[in-house]
Formats: sequence, C-alpha cells, structure tokens
Amino acid sequence: MSTALRPIFWLIVASTLHLAAQTPCKQLIPACRDAYMENFSWDGRYWRAELYGGETSEIYYTFFRGIRYRLIPCGSSSTKNTPHIRIYNANRTLLLDTRQQGDRAYWDLELSTTQLLLIELYYPNGDGCAALLIGHRAPMEASTR
Amino acid sequence: MTKRYMASVVKAVKKPSLSEWAFKLLLSFTVGALIAGCSQTSEESQASSSQDTLYAIPWEEVQVYMKAAPSPVQVAVWLKQEKVPFVREPLHDPTLAARYGGIQGAANLGIYLTDMAYAYATQHYQEAYEYLSSVNRLAARYGIDDILSIDRIRALDKLQDSPDSAQKLLSKYYGEMQQRLEETGQQVMLRHMILGGWIESLHITLILIEKEPHKQQLTEMISLQKNLLPLLIKLYAVDSTKAPSSQRIVKYLLNIQQSLDKTVPETTQKQPLTKVDKGLIQMRFDAMTKISPEQVQLIKQPLSELRQHMVKI
Repeated sequence: MSTALRPIFWLIVASTLHLAAQTPCKQLIPACRDAYMENFSWDGRYWRAELYGGETSEIYYTFFRGIRYRLIPCGSSSTKNTPHIRIYNANRTLLLDTRQQGDRAYWDLELSTTQLLLIELYYPNGDGCAALLIGHRAPMEASTR
Repeated sequence: MTKRYMASVVKAVKKPSLSEWAFKLLLSFTVGALIAGCSQTSEESQASSSQDTLYAIPWEEVQVYMKAAPSPVQVAVWLKQEKVPFVREPLHDPTLAARYGGIQGAANLGIYLTDMAYAYATQHYQEAYEYLSSVNRLAARYGIDDILSIDRIRALDKLQDSPDSAQKLLSKYYGEMQQRLEETGQQVMLRHMILGGWIESLHITLILIEKEPHKQQLTEMISLQKNLLPLLIKLYAVDSTKAPSSQRIVKYLLNIQQSLDKTVPETTQKQPLTKVDKGLIQMRFDAMTKISPEQVQLIKQPLSELRQHMVKI
C-alpha cells in the first residue's frame, strides 16, 4: 500500500471499529423497549454507557408514590450477562442490589412515598455496553395487564 | 456516564516519491479545509449561543442532572392517582405562546406541556387541546412540531375514553420531543424545557395543596425538592459564570432552596422495609414530615418569582 494512503486506511479502519462498537449499543434501546416495556408508559428517557473494568453508571430518577415503575437494565457484554442495578437513596445509602435477587430481564418497583433515588448500573464481571429504561404506570393497571 | 474513545496509531514513513508528495499536498489541503470548516462552524455555533453552552463539566454529566426531574406526564399520572381536581386559574395563559422564543420559549414549552398533561390527566380535554395548540405553536420554533401533527392529535383525540392510553401516547410524544431536541443540537432548549416543566409541576402542586389541604400526601412533592433542587442548581451552575441567564436562574433556585431549608427539616432516613417477590420490589419508607400551609407559602413565593421570570413577556 502506498505510504500516503496509509493514514486514510487507518482512518477508515478506526471509523469502522468505532461504528461497530457503537451499533449494538444503539440497538439496545429499541430492542429492550420492544421486548420488556409491555403496557408501561415510557417518556423516552434512557441512560446508556460503555462500562469497562468495573465502571458503573449513575442515574438520578424521581419515583412517585402510587405509581409502578419498570426498570429494564439491558446490555451487551463480553460475558453475555445482563447488567445489574443497585438502588440508593439520595444520601447514597444502599437500599437494594438486584444481584442478590437473581437474574431478571426487568424489575418492577413501587414506593410508599415519593423519592429521588440513585440507580447504579453495573456488570459484576466483564465489559460492555449497558442501558437502563424506566417505564411507569398506575399499579392497578399494571397488575391487570 | 462513561465515555470511550478509539486510540489512533501513527507510524513513521519512508521517503515518498514526487507523485506521493503531490497526493499528500492535495490531502493536506483537503484535511486543512475540512478542519477550518469544522472550527468555523464550531466558533459560529459558540458565538450564536455563547450565553448558554459553555459547560464546565461534560455534557454526559449535565444529562445526569437533567434527567433527574420528573417528566410532565409522570407528574400528571401521579396527580391523577391522588385524585386532584382541575384548577384552571393558576395555569399559564395559552394565548401567549406565539410571543415566546429562544430559551424563554423552550421554558414555556415545558410549562405548557405540564399544563396540557395535567388537563389530560384530570380529563379536561377542551383545556388540554388549548394547551396542545400552544405546545404545537412553540414546538414549531424548534422544528419539532411534526411530533404533534394533526394526525397525531387526532389519534390522541380518539383516546378520550381511554385516558391511560392517552397518557401513554403523550409520554411517547414527550420522549420524541426530548430526543429530537438532543439530536438536532438543541440541548440548551431541552434543558430549559425540563426546567419549565419542573417549575409548572411544583407550581400546580402548591396550588392544589392550598385548595385541598387535607391531601397531605401532595406535600411529598415539596419534601422531594430537598433532594432534587441541588441537582437542578448544578444543572444551571455549570455555566453560570459565563451565562447571565443561567446566573439569574441559579439565584432564583438558591432562593427556593433557602426557603426549603427553613421549611423541610433535615431528617436521617431509615432503611426502608424492602420486599422482593417475583420481580416486584416494594419499598416502605417512613412517612414524610407534614408541612403546614404557612410553610407552603414560604416555598410558593420564591417559586412564583422564578415562574414569573420565565413567563413574563
């Protein structure tokens, strides 16, 4: 290959690799929404991050009393694991780690009072893209679906 | 949020031939022109919106704070659950929509969206359509009015007997508006739209607390602000050193925080009782501290000042 063409070649390779890494990450949101949101309303907000070497992604979210929420942690990791979530209160006291509750594609959540919670998205091992979608609806309607 | 960049590799090269020199020269010109073009675009865009885009922290972090505030639809669903009445008089005047633009228009878009969602949730469809028209008019200024096109409004209209489906559709439209603003580089507008939605949600709740003092559970919205407000302050403080408009908003937000500090006592939350069954997590927290009508007034005043700053013509 001509020396002058090498930078262009490397540029194309780097761009292709970058796009290849981004594509499964971008596809996560519609795939998880279609698979697990069911009858919950979704206001279009999502959180997405590439997590490496034990990194976590933090999400603040307001949860209202009397509403049922669906938390959908989804991902594409080197170990094929689903990401887990830790739920903290606003003072960063750990309330729940879903890893202790087994593997599930989604979790439904109800609170007795309105709270701002911090959700931490993480892979127990392995690296990869992780995303979180949160749906909401009245609990009665959720249970009669 | 974590962000990753691809590493690039640069290698040493042997002495090139004349044709290769010519090719390199051409390549340099092309790359140079591209870089110059990009930097010009960047400078132009900075100049056009320099008052509000120079963040001291990465955009990913700004997004974390921005998404903490509840959406207008979520607040409306909650108000519906609390069986609140519809009160028209404290809502924004829908006929003023045409008079707003820029960041003030974006904040009013959030205000109108909240009024519309509240009217929908309480099944006051005539009023909901009035606000929908205001939203549509303002959305046109940001190139997102197709999200609430006639066909889509008709689809919403058909769901009058199914308010939950209507809420779901409203959620979808709101999500699309956020996404479009972000994709079209209008993050500044998105931030103001979210602020406007937050202002109006709290404004409506405070009015409802006054009208329905027996509904003490509504005061949870005030207690919530104790944790939410610091994030909103961060959201605007990130560029307050360079943007006078953000400086003013931070001042208003700090006034509200000061009132909250006087009103909502600092409490150490105990670990909630948590039950997990078949994927359903239920958390039982201690009941929130009750807030008196006098304390509500303390919050209402600085919030009204901020709202007035946003809606004044």
